[in-house]
Amino acid sequence: MKVCLSWLKEYVDIDMSPEALSEALTMVGLEVEGLEPVGSGLERVVAARIESLEKHPNADRLALCRVNTGAGTHTVVCGAPNLREGMRVPLACPGADLPGVGAVSETEIRGVASWGMLLAEDEMGLTDDHSGILELPEGATPGLGVAEVLGLPDWTLEIGLTPNRPDCACVLGIAREIAALTGRRLKQPPIDYREQGPEIHRRAGVEIRDPVGCPRYAAGLVQGVRLSPSPFWMRYRLHQSGVRSINNVVDVTNYVLLEMGQPLHAFDYDRLRRNRIVVQRAEDGSRFTTLDGRTRDLDGETLMICDAERPVALAGIMGGLNSEIFAGSENVLVESAYFDPVTIRRASKRLGLSTEASYRFERGVDIEGVTRALRRSLHLISSLAGGAVARGLIDEYPEPFSRPTVVLRVERANQLLGTELGEEKIRKYLEALEMDVESGGRGQLQVRPPAFRVDITREVDLVEEVARMEGYQKIPVTFPRLRGGAGPLSRDLVLRDRVRAAMVGFGFSEIITYSFVSPEALDILHGPGQDPSTEAVKLLNPLSSEQSVMRTSLLPGLLAAMKNNALRGEKEIKIFEWGKVFRVTAEGPLPEERPFLGVLMMGVFQRKAWYNTLRAVDFYDMKGVAEAILQEIGVGEAVFRKAQDPPGYRPEVSAEIVVGESQIGLLGQVAPRVMEAYELEKESAFAFELDVEALLGLDLAGKVYRPVAKYPAVYRDISIVVADSVESAAVWRVIREAGGDLVESVELFDSFSGRGMEPGQKALGFRVCYRSQSHTLDGVEVNRLHEHVIDRIREQTGGRLREG
Amino acid sequence: MKEELRKLEQEAIGELKSVRDEKDLERFRIVYLGKKGLLTAFMRRLGKLPPDQRPEMGRAANVVKARLTSEYEKAKQRVASHRERLEAVLDVTLPGRRPPRGHLHPITMTLQEVCGIFTRMGFSIVKGPNIELDYYNFEALNIPRDHPARDMQDTFYVSENVVLRTHTSPIQVRVMESQDPPVSVIAPGKVYRRDSDVSHTPMFHQVEGLLVDRGVTFGDLKGTLTHFVHQMFGADTALRFRPSFFPFTEPSAEVDIECVICRGAGCRTCGQTGWLEILGSGVVDPAVYGFVGYDPEIYSGFAFGMGIERIAMLKYGIDDIQLFFRNDLRFLRQF
Repeated sequence: MKVCLSWLKEYVDIDMSPEALSEALTMVGLEVEGLEPVGSGLERVVAARIESLEKHPNADRLALCRVNTGAGTHTVVCGAPNLREGMRVPLACPGADLPGVGAVSETEIRGVASWGMLLAEDEMGLTDDHSGILELPEGATPGLGVAEVLGLPDWTLEIGLTPNRPDCACVLGIAREIAALTGRRLKQPPIDYREQGPEIHRRAGVEIRDPVGCPRYAAGLVQGVRLSPSPFWMRYRLHQSGVRSINNVVDVTNYVLLEMGQPLHAFDYDRLRRNRIVVQRAEDGSRFTTLDGRTRDLDGETLMICDAERPVALAGIMGGLNSEIFAGSENVLVESAYFDPVTIRRASKRLGLSTEASYRFERGVDIEGVTRALRRSLHLISSLAGGAVARGLIDEYPEPFSRPTVVLRVERANQLLGTELGEEKIRKYLEALEMDVESGGRGQLQVRPPAFRVDITREVDLVEEVARMEGYQKIPVTFPRLRGGAGPLSRDLVLRDRVRAAMVGFGFSEIITYSFVSPEALDILHGPGQDPSTEAVKLLNPLSSEQSVMRTSLLPGLLAAMKNNALRGEKEIKIFEWGKVFRVTAEGPLPEERPFLGVLMMGVFQRKAWYNTLRAVDFYDMKGVAEAILQEIGVGEAVFRKAQDPPGYRPEVSAEIVVGESQIGLLGQVAPRVMEAYELEKESAFAFELDVEALLGLDLAGKVYRPVAKYPAVYRDISIVVADSVESAAVWRVIREAGGDLVESVELFDSFSGRGMEPGQKALGFRVCYRSQSHTLDGVEVNRLHEHVIDRIREQTGGRLREG
Repeated sequence: MKEELRKLEQEAIGELKSVRDEKDLERFRIVYLGKKGLLTAFMRRLGKLPPDQRPEMGRAANVVKARLTSEYEKAKQRVASHRERLEAVLDVTLPGRRPPRGHLHPITMTLQEVCGIFTRMGFSIVKGPNIELDYYNFEALNIPRDHPARDMQDTFYVSENVVLRTHTSPIQVRVMESQDPPVSVIAPGKVYRRDSDVSHTPMFHQVEGLLVDRGVTFGDLKGTLTHFVHQMFGADTALRFRPSFFPFTEPSAEVDIECVICRGAGCRTCGQTGWLEILGSGVVDPAVYGFVGYDPEIYSGFAFGMGIERIAMLKYGIDDIQLFFRNDLRFLRQF
């Protein structure tokens, strides 16, 4: 809502500065989001009188004006069509600098010197009119600053209204708040016109067939109007509020809407068949052309204003092309009504058509103010466009509104606010807001809010008003007693914080990506011919197809971040994300949400420094991180197995991470076709994902101290040659099983193939640590056991000891 | 004694090998060769030997002394030359071998800070689903269908009754449904709005807070949030509460803090007002209690919610919200 200060001042005396007023309004809940001066740059614009007019010798459309500025006369070249001798006009003297025009100086136009410039309204930022030079009032003394003549500078206030305060969606409403705030009196707009001619009921009829959609419908009639542009003051105010000027009749309806908050509509009386108005729902499937020229499809819920034969307006939203005021209109029927908020809102939403009128109706207008606004419009129309106002008004109002009584307990108000306000003070606050307040005894007030305060129906609504009027700043600052204290962090949050800290320690940076991705980004993970998108949650109204399905994997986000950084020239990419993935499920009303950890690395292991050699990351770098994270969170018994078609990974270089029988994650090289899709086909990237939900299902090992060994250990190395296909873990298991309790640990210290080895074979080196918890092992005992272990390896893996 | 002398010599030679600098060297000299040193002490004891053994042991002791003295001199030279070499070669400005270091996302850091402040006050952290029922996101928060308040948030729909939550407020309802007062929780999480431009991203983060108990007041709300602002932005940060509207609180308040950039003087960040809006809050509307079965005559409380991106931007001087989700490592490595 944008209003100008000069308009507000018409209804309430304001002696605060515009800045102070903005602050005060903001602090009662009418947030002033913008405060702009009107008519800035008018310092060197003065009133001047046109003494004489001559044709420009070199240009047909230009005139030479001799203008008197009080201090002298000058010649100004001007092309406006409305110039005449004796006219008072705004003259920008050389040196003036106007926001809409720029610097004004003495120039030569088509060979004739021009001293300054005569100004149209738009050039001074007053309206958008550029049809001619602004005509100043007769009394404007030449030489007087034009700002003074026009009562400038003025200010516009842009007020951000909350949905609960439709009563403030007008100048009068805001003035009312200012009045309540400052203790000044609110002045009502004048209504003063003479009714002439016939009784309106003999000229027009209104029938409400849907009293739910339309509880009140009033109409007035003015006959014999002369349409013309509105006077400057009205066009100025409309423009400053962002409304385009049309003609003096239509402008009045918009003016009263801005002034009093009541939307009005002017019909061409002669175009209403049988001069009748019928309010009813539309015929399902019918069509209607609104005055913006667009034809709209209606359903049976849409409330329509009809004449005797056909719809003539979309109730509460927009008039129809078939009945609007046009250049030849003479007789005007003005509608002022109250429409049901929900009915209007539904229609507005369905039609995708929101107007100044629908905005107010769907929030609730003042049902008691319907006829006052109507009479105000009749006053303005008859004074601006002439014509005869028919006697009386039509006012169909089957069930008049009765103000509800809301009880306010003084103690309750103080309890909720933490204040100690007295009953008298509270009463004064409420009365300032035009509420009727009566004492109900025992600290209770019987409050009857005015009809325009649609937001006040309950005690707590009054408590808010009391708090507003007292001022939030004045409410004492206290501290609550929090009983019980904070509960323990949930396991997933504990896990999350530990994993994040560990990942950062490993050199990975955290990313956060959107939860929605493109369907293609998910499809590409699964490879050709597979359609996994059935399990993805789709948005009905995505912003774009790029963000149209909820992710089922963290990989798309990691890959996109990888791509963006790699294409920028980043060489060492190590990133992770902790976030939810989403899947359609058969159970419950909501999809499944599962937290995952996703990790990705690409490029070099470490940037080149003086102490290292450059190398690319590989599978084991990624696996090491996965192992370290599993260790950090206490997953002891995870095993890595070759994975079957892991989505997004290269099958030959990937593994599933398994605990017991359940898969808790995937690890591997990102599939080449995926890298190609991300335009990085020449690079290798590695990733792993952990299903946090599955991890939480595990019995994670806590940290338990075990006594440090008392007896010395004996180390023995085994170097064994096996076929390439034998997994190191298989040999490892054999050693542990064969060695039994005396094997404390088995570490793989070497894995070697190539030079010196037969093709298809590799050498594995293990260091076995033997230790007893009960005695010092002697050489004989260890040797015997070690021989046994080697025999088992030979038997079970087909390996042989490596010579030398 | 012969054995004792042999052991002393061995130990001394061994120790001399591990001598690295002048300090070690001096310690060695005092312990073995000094006037109160071990060798001197040994020699003094020779007098107590039977006379026939004295000369032999005396000779042996002198041999050891001579050997240790010469070894000591050698070690002295070694240390000196080592020091020279070190001083000549060590470039202390050469970068050290850094352990790898990753970075937490600034949103995570901000969330941790915000949640930390409230958990220290006694609030517990709770969570809720990202994909939420219309009922929890709107209806039970006193935002009926066909209410203009729905226009305050553009919503992504999954189906007619399922939405991407537009705020963390539905968690309030879920918590109150599942427990009786007293309730003191905060709920961090992602939220979604169908809005994307220079200053909006379709996903962002919020932290919601809720306190319900007997006798909780608007003054308590002011106290709690004042404490939060002072912890988060510094104890000298001015703040103000001004009336606003949220369907699930009444009275409702926006909280502005003094602009952290210009300290209230007026600048581009605060739109020349000197104030920055950072929080929405209010006394819980009794209509919400109706949905969860709390008795508003017995219990009262307050709720608040804040956008984490906004706070992170103020905290770290970030001027573009899009940066949070571009995941540019040049950005992330700064945190």
